[in-house]
Amino acid sequence: MAPDGTAKAIPAAVAARPLGRSRGVSSLERLARRRSTIAFVMTLPLILVIAGLVAYPAAWAIYLSTLNRRMTANIGLDNYLFLIESESFRMIIWQSCFFAITAVLFKALIGFWLAHMLHTIPTRGQRKWRGMLLIPWVIPPALSTLGWWWMFDPSYSSINWLLTVVGFPPVPWLGQPWWARIAVIMVNVWYGAPFFMIMYLAALKSVPEQLYEAAAIDGATSWQRLWFITLPMMRNIIAITVLFSLIVTFANYDIVRVLTNGGPRDTTHLFATYAFQVGILSGNLPRGAAVSLFMLPILAIAAFFILRGVTRRAREMA
Amino acid sequence: MTKATLSRRSALKAGVGGIAASVLAAPAVHGQPRVTLRCGFWDHWVPAGNGALRELCAAWGQRERVDVQVDFITSVGRQNELTIAAQAQSRSGHDILSFPTWQPAAYADQLVPVNDVMDRLIAKYGKVTAAAEYLAKRDGRWIAIPAVSGTQMKPSLGRIDLLKQHAGIDPREMWPAEDRVGPGAENWTWDTFLVAAEKCHAAGVPFGLPMSSFSDAVDWVGALFASFGASMLDAEGKPTVRGNQKLRAAVDYMVRLAKFLPNDVWAWDDASNNRAIQGGRSALIFNPPSAYAVARRDNMAGFDQYWTFPMPAGPEGRFTPYLPYFWGIWNFSRNIPQAKALLEFLSERESAEKQTSTSAGYDIPPFESMNDFAVWKTEGPPVGVVYNYPLRPHHNARTSVAFAPAPPEIAVQAYTQGLNTGLIARIAQGGMTVDQALAWAERELRNFARG
Amino acid sequence: MAEAAAANRDFPRLYGRVGSLHRERLWALRLSYASLIFAAIIFLAPPFYMLVTSIKTNAEMADQTLNPWIVRSPTLEHYAAILGNPVFLTFFKNSIIVTVVVVTVTMVISVLAAFALSRMRFWGSQTLATGVFLTYLVPDTLLFIPLYQIVGGLGLLNSIWGLVLVYPTLTVPFCTWIMIGYFASIPRELDEAALIDGATWPQMLMKIFIPVALPGIIAATIFAFTVSWAAFVYPTAFITRPDQMPLTIGIVSQLVRGDTFAWGQIMAGALIAALPPVVVYVFLMDYYIAGLTAGATKG
Repeated sequence: MAPDGTAKAIPAAVAARPLGRSRGVSSLERLARRRSTIAFVMTLPLILVIAGLVAYPAAWAIYLSTLNRRMTANIGLDNYLFLIESESFRMIIWQSCFFAITAVLFKALIGFWLAHMLHTIPTRGQRKWRGMLLIPWVIPPALSTLGWWWMFDPSYSSINWLLTVVGFPPVPWLGQPWWARIAVIMVNVWYGAPFFMIMYLAALKSVPEQLYEAAAIDGATSWQRLWFITLPMMRNIIAITVLFSLIVTFANYDIVRVLTNGGPRDTTHLFATYAFQVGILSGNLPRGAAVSLFMLPILAIAAFFILRGVTRRAREMA
Repeated sequence: MTKATLSRRSALKAGVGGIAASVLAAPAVHGQPRVTLRCGFWDHWVPAGNGALRELCAAWGQRERVDVQVDFITSVGRQNELTIAAQAQSRSGHDILSFPTWQPAAYADQLVPVNDVMDRLIAKYGKVTAAAEYLAKRDGRWIAIPAVSGTQMKPSLGRIDLLKQHAGIDPREMWPAEDRVGPGAENWTWDTFLVAAEKCHAAGVPFGLPMSSFSDAVDWVGALFASFGASMLDAEGKPTVRGNQKLRAAVDYMVRLAKFLPNDVWAWDDASNNRAIQGGRSALIFNPPSAYAVARRDNMAGFDQYWTFPMPAGPEGRFTPYLPYFWGIWNFSRNIPQAKALLEFLSERESAEKQTSTSAGYDIPPFESMNDFAVWKTEGPPVGVVYNYPLRPHHNARTSVAFAPAPPEIAVQAYTQGLNTGLIARIAQGGMTVDQALAWAERELRNFARG
Repeated sequence: MAEAAAANRDFPRLYGRVGSLHRERLWALRLSYASLIFAAIIFLAPPFYMLVTSIKTNAEMADQTLNPWIVRSPTLEHYAAILGNPVFLTFFKNSIIVTVVVVTVTMVISVLAAFALSRMRFWGSQTLATGVFLTYLVPDTLLFIPLYQIVGGLGLLNSIWGLVLVYPTLTVPFCTWIMIGYFASIPRELDEAALIDGATWPQMLMKIFIPVALPGIIAATIFAFTVSWAAFVYPTAFITRPDQMPLTIGIVSQLVRGDTFAWGQIMAGALIAALPPVVVYVFLMDYYIAGLTAGATKG
């Protein structure tokens, strides 16, 4: 929040500020300006972290991606051309998009459904259920994926055991490309749906009760209430969460690395794991950097929309 | 008086001299810093295998007054390759590392030339295998020492009972633990192999042959291609895929064979085939004796029915998949002379024999003159299980390294990405036609040359 | 009477006697509980199975004819083995050191910067705040390759201090963002009163802001702790020496030898490693959730 009181692009929730506090602001302003150097010093560590550990490496990555394998000569955009001409990499681009969109869609739907269910039960019980259902999100993903890996083991899969008990044939979970992709999506949805649930629950709670009651009086069914009241009120939150999750899912690393390590013949590779394989494992850092940077356009677009959405929301609340 | 004075003066002199002498001697005993040599060896897949290197290094260290620290880095999940890359990047880490097949060539610029050590060893023991020499030399200089521990072959390893019962093949009769072929050995070709694979597949114990991009898969398919005379790259690194009839013949055979393999071999890592035969779900794999050693240690069912015997022969001969390891010294190491001395010691005949004997015959010494260790005759039960593991004259076989003789920079990429198994995968699993898949392979190979 | 009728109409849920609405409400409740039970089973199945595996004997695990979801003869041998394994304890120690240092550093940086950004105006504070948010959106998988080279150049590869150096990129942006939100919601009257009373900025920070925004600070600390503990990308890339590995990468890469996977030990190790974040979550659940939702829906 900008110190002059207007709710600007700083994406923090803002307590409503009454206007017309000019007298108080000016004395504060004087003090603030006098202390502006102190303020600068206080933000210096933050600036160092951002500049030195985020901005500089990002710029370095761009430069790095224009070097050759031994990092002795500049080869311009050759790394990118090489990647685009590589069929495996084109498959990875497609895979990453498919994975991100499918997973986020399922997470949003399941999260929304569960939030709605939670919202319906009496408030006293909500805390208990909410606590239980958030557990997948709390366990470090690398470790919970170990559990999933064991559950998918070709010979001893407990999931296959359940399937055979019900009469279905056992599934070669990690052995075939499509099943492996489904497995990765399953684990990601399992891990991420609770996050959506929590966010949507909080948003649901912020929708005023009177709107529902007014609608009920007017004879609206629950579906109509959902469509005409809930969703529009939550539109911004839904957008922010979905876009945010798109970024995170797109850049996912832990699950793929532990579960399939890229899967049967590179069919479950995402940008992050492929960058690891090409850049660090095979020792071609510049090309690995190029792989990572392929994520940039999509991230930038998503970030732009998130920023816009959050700004809108801040304005909404002010 | 004079005598006493003299004696006192001389005593004093002697005393001072003694103190001086001890002061001068002190650095030689206490003051000289002890060299610490850090070694990162390959974590052996035979459970007892690490012990040999540990003892050898400790014994040498004690003799030479060098502190030798030994770490064992596993190849599961390519952890050893990752370690090599990280140490090359940060120019710090161990002094000595184990480098698999193509890695010495990949990091040649950062390895210490070891011509002096190799010349002495060759003078003593004769030449090393051709493949090891090809991979360890750059511009005529030795950049790594072919290692004993880790160097392995992957001939057939089968269950005698299962093969006899379902495929009518007795490997122990065909290839007995003696220097002769048995009845039926001349018929051990890829065609009879295919028939046996079909029978075992129908019986529920299919051959466990991986088709992923891991080394177990790439190595055996490379050996099969070699036995058909099919090669995807020539010595200059140019793709030889188009119009290559021998390659087509090999690919056609592989597509037929793939039908009789378990349906998830495309994702198998280097451990999956071990587990398949240990669990009794497979009648034959291509592997060094580690699968047998673990089965024996854990008393798994049927461990006394394992038998190692040579690969099937193809139209152009019999080729055995060969995975050599190398011991390399980083050029940023501060203890290069000591490192060289240790590696020379580990390559000597007695040390080599100790490594091989402790690892149930797994480690194949690089020197051809060392192919006569006792362990291969005596290991069992069943006795003679690894007799035919190293190359013997009556096998009429040669070693094969996939994608040799291509230049290392291109071969390492084709090898790491498993281009030969990928070719088959695209046809058998991906539904491409043979021509489409060959065209894909050619594009990828050409791309590799661009670096 | 009239009031009761009005109340009945205005708050049908409260009185619940209006026929169709009551029934609809009952069905909604049944559906909710059914969905929640179903979801709970699916969400809790994997950790449950990890627990079950960690107390099974190896023989029972290898037996494919048994129901894998129940234990017949539980044993604590895997836990004993892993807790007695010095390598595992080293992983634990590394995780603790890295997490504690990173959380401390993060909170210091975040609180100071958030205070400055929410209360004092100076040239560039606007851009900086937006920049903080954008930084949060840059994934670690974009930065890990250039950082691999940079950290390597500093000689900090294969050292937990290399991790301590880069983990703040994961935690500082979001913590700063949360803290800005909490600080901004502190009424300015408090500032005014303190300034009139002659307080200096440090005193204002320590005596007013931090106590009042304590829930936010706790939430941010929990977030920093969870993220540092679970970080996986950077350790995988930077650390290959087992004695410098934190738990996440240590368990995944070191407990597998040759062709034998010690699943019992792996599961036991994974559960022990997952314990700290879960414990923090169980005891501080409300702060945890507040931290999560702070960014988007506070207020």
